[in-house]
Amino acid sequence: MLSRHAEHLFWTGRYVERAADTARLLDVTYHSLLSAPPAEARQGWHDVLDVLHATQAFAEDHEVVDARGVCDFLVRDVDNDGSIVCSVHRARENARSVRELVSTELWESLNTFWLELQSRDLRRDLEQQPYELYGIIRRRCQEVTGTAAETMPHDDGWRFLTLGSMLERAEMTCRLLNVRFAPFTEADDELGFHQATHVLRSASASEAFRKAHRSMTLKNVVEFLLLSATFPRSVLFCMRAAESALQDVDSPDRVSRAMRVLGRRRADLEFTDVAELLATDVHAFLEDIQEDIRRAAELVAVQFFRHTDEFAVFHSLERV
Amino acid sequence: MYTVAAMATDLFDGYLPESFFDEVFTGDGAVRPHYEDLVARLRVFTPRELARREQLRDVAFRSAGITFTVYGEDEGVERTFPMDLLPRIIPGDEWSIIEEGLIQRVTALNRFLDDLYVGEQAAIHDGIVPRWLVSSSDGFRREAAGIAVPQGARCLVAGIDLVRDAEGTYRVLEDNVRNPSGISYVLENRAAMTRVLPNLFGSLRVRPVDDYGVILLEALRNVAPPTAGDPTVVVLTPGVHNSAYFEHAFLARQMGVELVEGRDLVVDDHVVYMRTTRGLQRVDVIYRRIDDAFIDPVVFRRDSMLGVPGLVAAARAGNVTLANAVGNGVADDKAVYAFVPDLIRYYLGEEPIVQNCTTYLLWEPDQREAVLDRLDELVVKPVGESGGYGLCIGPAASDGELAEVAARIEADPRGYIAQEVVSLSRHPTLVDDHLEGRHVDFRPFVLSGETTKVIPGGLTRVALRRGSLVVNSSQGGGSKDTWVLRDDVKDDETKDEQAA
Repeated sequence: MLSRHAEHLFWTGRYVERAADTARLLDVTYHSLLSAPPAEARQGWHDVLDVLHATQAFAEDHEVVDARGVCDFLVRDVDNDGSIVCSVHRARENARSVRELVSTELWESLNTFWLELQSRDLRRDLEQQPYELYGIIRRRCQEVTGTAAETMPHDDGWRFLTLGSMLERAEMTCRLLNVRFAPFTEADDELGFHQATHVLRSASASEAFRKAHRSMTLKNVVEFLLLSATFPRSVLFCMRAAESALQDVDSPDRVSRAMRVLGRRRADLEFTDVAELLATDVHAFLEDIQEDIRRAAELVAVQFFRHTDEFAVFHSLERV
Repeated sequence: MYTVAAMATDLFDGYLPESFFDEVFTGDGAVRPHYEDLVARLRVFTPRELARREQLRDVAFRSAGITFTVYGEDEGVERTFPMDLLPRIIPGDEWSIIEEGLIQRVTALNRFLDDLYVGEQAAIHDGIVPRWLVSSSDGFRREAAGIAVPQGARCLVAGIDLVRDAEGTYRVLEDNVRNPSGISYVLENRAAMTRVLPNLFGSLRVRPVDDYGVILLEALRNVAPPTAGDPTVVVLTPGVHNSAYFEHAFLARQMGVELVEGRDLVVDDHVVYMRTTRGLQRVDVIYRRIDDAFIDPVVFRRDSMLGVPGLVAAARAGNVTLANAVGNGVADDKAVYAFVPDLIRYYLGEEPIVQNCTTYLLWEPDQREAVLDRLDELVVKPVGESGGYGLCIGPAASDGELAEVAARIEADPRGYIAQEVVSLSRHPTLVDDHLEGRHVDFRPFVLSGETTKVIPGGLTRVALRRGSLVVNSSQGGGSKDTWVLRDDVKDDETKDEQAA
């Protein structure tokens, strides 16, 4: 397929996933911090900005970090590239550029999602019924993903869509773990019930976790979100799904550089001992995974979208 | 009883051909033989039945998303191109003359363009066309000099606009050998007609047009560089915002080839590739629907984001064929048009089969003076425009407009031509629940190559406004499905083939 088409589908997948993950994170944070003391709440919202790499951008226009400012910034601020409104807009623009390739139903579900966000009074929603708003966003994103799975042929286009959304999701789960757990890794093995539930719920994982583990220990939570083979938001699960999509779009007779990066990391994860990991630098470990995901995405762009590895001349241009 | 019922609802009641040449009725009100069957079938339709069919048609077009974009109104509005339910019929014997005339004309145009860009410019040396006229044409591209096209098929797809005058004689109104559009409507109109009014086809043997995709692909593969084994063909579009994007996507689908934009292509060492997820894939033939000016920023407009840097050099190196060829615009120049009959005589040694409309060249002092004296009786057209833009129809223009046109002619006599007003033929057209005569023209499509072929059909455009002579889609025109009938000679041939 044409590289341009593949790239648009890849980003459609990424942006839809980003919108859903952001909504999930905000929803859980908002509700878990409602009754928290001011200092803890402030830290909580700082953490959210950190997870989304938005601390600096937020500080440019805001003096205080509070629920209202952060939610506003991450949901409806059109000047914030990472806001949900911008993500959905970009997902739609990308899908529109390959209108001939996406099913009509997929296009309609994305388009009506966008129109709904346009027509809603988001400021009022955030003030009066944030729970409902986040629910709508989450369900709309699920509708898009589900419609894609049900109405698009599972060919290369579909694989690039999946690749985009799986890489995004893996990175988001890493970030979540990283920011939430870093402060606790040096502390006691027992986690506050409240904190752990918060993290799990941000990944829509609390019910699945309880089925898999009896006790809410740091080790168990990290193991679940990092290494569960069956939970579809665990880092390992997403890495495997991304790798499988990549395998199918690549030529069977070679291992691409993106594949090597993902595969090596996946293998490393599969053989990780969490108890051992917790004794070392978890923060650095998670940073490494995120770095690999970003590198894999970059290599996918080079190999499939831009072909920068095929023309020496373009290498020199890229560096300028 | 039957007669009375039929009379009461007769669509043709009160229909007046007036003083125009009418496609369906002769001067004394009789139905022309090739329309008899159709008229008989239409006479039994009630207005209600027709309204129902019109609804069916609208649904068919809207759901297929068959639209074009009108510029200048709120940054491009998408409209459907209205198709009238009454088809235009061309009998086989009439068609064979048109066919022969078009092949002759396009052959001469191909020879002329080849002569200009890769030949000796013999037509200039022999005084058929003045050198200054060619070099002052906006469509002439020096940059195309030396770029050869296999088979000399520079006008791979030509759309030649024909009109019929008051006597019913077909004349060429203008040549479109750059990027003629409209073929998608020809195919979609036919598809809609067979669904909406299947029984109208009746006993008429209408020649099919739906194999156009196959024929076009064959023609494109036919002009691939000789070194290309199994040539890869693509359609190059400016993108979704172009007014004819629907057609570009349609043609790519019909041929089963990729629809690419400029950024999908890359030129390396004079070879064109498209970027695919499996790597770079070599491209041999580009059916480009981007104008010359935007096709290659290295050679033409440097601000063009639509084109592909290095494309023209790749064509010159013989590694890719661009269809239609670069520089064809000189043949579309309406002043050059006036010389086409001479070019036919010069290159082919034949008399033109289909004549031009009477045209005046305004740099000639005598002709200019005569034209300025009777501007209110003539049509004045800018030489470089198409699509009916910039047209001045004398009889319909105000004194102010005429004065303005006169001033423009005085300032730039090379920039305009004048023509006698052709009293375009009319065709019964559905207006609300009855029929009225509306002016029509006709754009058949000609494909060049090893053999030159005319698609048996074409786009009949109809001026939907009463009395209007302007049929362009951008100016309130509609269209009609056009039926070319199989003639008896052809029929015998087919039988022979089947027997053999």
